Amino acid sequence: MSAVFKFENWRATEPAPPSAETVHKALIQLERISKTYDSGENAVQALRGVDLKIDRGEFCSIIGPSGSGKSTLMHILGCLDSPTEGRYWLDGEDVAAMSGKALARIRNQKLGFVFQTFNLLPRATIWKNVELPLLYAGIDGDERKARALEALDRVGLKDRAKHRPNQLSGGQRQRVAIARALVNTPSLLLADEPTGNLDQKTGGDIIRLFEELAANNQTIILVTHDPGIAQRTHRRIQIVDGLIVDGEEME
Amino acid sequence: MLILEAIIDGVRDIKDHFGRTLLQLLGIILGAGSIVATFSLSVAGKEASMKFYRMTGGIERIWISDKETGKITLDAKALASKGLTYSDAVALRKEGKEIDLVSPVSESNMLVRYGNVEKSRNVMGVTPAYSPISFFHVEHGRFITDSDLTGAARVVVLGTTRAQEFFGSENPIGKTMTIDGSGYLVVGVMEEKYFSFDQKRNALRWMNRFIYIPITTMMTRKGQPLQQGKISFMHARMKDVKRHKEAVAEIERILFRQHGTKDYQVFSRVANLARNESENKMYDVTFMICGIISLLVGGIVIMNIQLASFNERVREIGTRKAVGATPMQIFFQMLTESVIVSVFGGLLGIVAGKFFTQGIALLTRNPAAITPSTAMTALIFAAGTGLIFGMYPAIRASRLNPIEALRTE
Repeated sequence: MSAVFKFENWRATEPAPPSAETVHKALIQLERISKTYDSGENAVQALRGVDLKIDRGEFCSIIGPSGSGKSTLMHILGCLDSPTEGRYWLDGEDVAAMSGKALARIRNQKLGFVFQTFNLLPRATIWKNVELPLLYAGIDGDERKARALEALDRVGLKDRAKHRPNQLSGGQRQRVAIARALVNTPSLLLADEPTGNLDQKTGGDIIRLFEELAANNQTIILVTHDPGIAQRTHRRIQIVDGLIVDGEEME
Repeated sequence: MLILEAIIDGVRDIKDHFGRTLLQLLGIILGAGSIVATFSLSVAGKEASMKFYRMTGGIERIWISDKETGKITLDAKALASKGLTYSDAVALRKEGKEIDLVSPVSESNMLVRYGNVEKSRNVMGVTPAYSPISFFHVEHGRFITDSDLTGAARVVVLGTTRAQEFFGSENPIGKTMTIDGSGYLVVGVMEEKYFSFDQKRNALRWMNRFIYIPITTMMTRKGQPLQQGKISFMHARMKDVKRHKEAVAEIERILFRQHGTKDYQVFSRVANLARNESENKMYDVTFMICGIISLLVGGIVIMNIQLASFNERVREIGTRKAVGATPMQIFFQMLTESVIVSVFGGLLGIVAGKFFTQGIALLTRNPAAITPSTAMTALIFAAGTGLIFGMYPAIRASRLNPIEALRTE
């Protein structure tokens, strides 16, 4: 009896690893990812078996109508949420079954987030805001300051380091958020509707900044509902009803 | 590293919402304040009474006196008893193993005169042991000696008040003054005793009013044979304060054998001190409980405010989690903030406690002193309150789901 259980346990925890080739080549590999939100009697299936592979240096967009599951996919890609089923390799690590603490470490070291609403800490200076990921990584003060300043330089806001977020315009705030996302040199930059709160021109500037970063081989995934912005990425991943319907690379 | 940032955040929080923080801290301030006041008053009070005892013979001094008894309860033996006599003192001195000094005193009101000043004053017949047993020494000249005692010499030693009263600015030593018609040579003037609980009145002024002559001289003047001579009271000094019960028991045993009835009473200062202490402890505990209740209320307020500010900061916590803060890191950060705020309250509480203490000391004329250990105790209590009541908000923050937190408006 116990032998049977042991066997089954072994089956559940020791699946065949992906081939060395796929692990090394792809930054992101999703296999049959599904996510079910169990709200009482009626369970909602937000993702229904998504397969996706994204290589290093790709600049992609995820597009889809609201309720399509694109936010859920983005949360799983961003290690903010775990899939109900399926496997997810990020930069060679199997993150699908990780604990909250391990996911926090992954977010801290491999990911950078840019939000629609910037999500800067209002009472901290720009400098402190950009330092934040390094603070939780346990990096000491001097190095933190230097790296934060360097990241601010990359987005052209070095001279605003000592300002507070409310002293900056929306576009500038989003640049600060991008600096914060870049400060830990992440494997993947995830942006959720980064131009949603900005006017046309400022939004265009932000997208141009993403293009520059992509040109420097930064892997970027951009979640948007704006086809014009999606058009400017190198690959569009369209999601409808919890499934990817079109994820071809556009060359 | 993170702790340092959390401390800076906490301090900034206090600065940004100074008014709110003060209100939030009222309970902590009052709590820490009353703890400071309790300890200060109790410690200083204890020190003062210890000092008082030390100045007047220490806690090793035992007081022995006649017992006032109602006539009705007197039996034949008691009626026959003459009360304490000089021979009792001799017996104690000879047989007592727990005591090393015995000082019998015979008091009497006598007419004292020098020059134009003539007054009825209390005069004490003493032995040389009186001075060491009372921690009371001569400043000028000498005290009563053994040869004064054996010769029943007509010599007198004055307290400073009496020296001033009869001699003014004159040096009394070597002068002759008249006591109940006979001439006495002034051989010494005592030191001035001063001790004050309230910095106003000298609690020991009565000691400066004494006039001493040899006890043998006193007996002779009263026309009593020395051995049967009645004495007013006596002091004995125990060898070891830890054995105060044995010392008292021994004295009672010897006196009972001498008298055959219990017409005397024996008080040890150690027992007195213990009684005082248990009385004081009641006040201490009452105050302490008030302090702790204030701290509890303060802690609940802190918890409420932390929860409220937690709701304000859900997005911030979500952001911190998104950039990689672990639940543990969030927990410590939030907890540090509560502790910082409450330590700040504790510091203000020490200041408040200083005012409480001074106010109470002024009203009750009690001594008071804030010691570093008192301040430390208050601070630790305040920090502990922050730690305990910061726990729940910190746990809630650490468990927050980042996705939901980021979605909150």
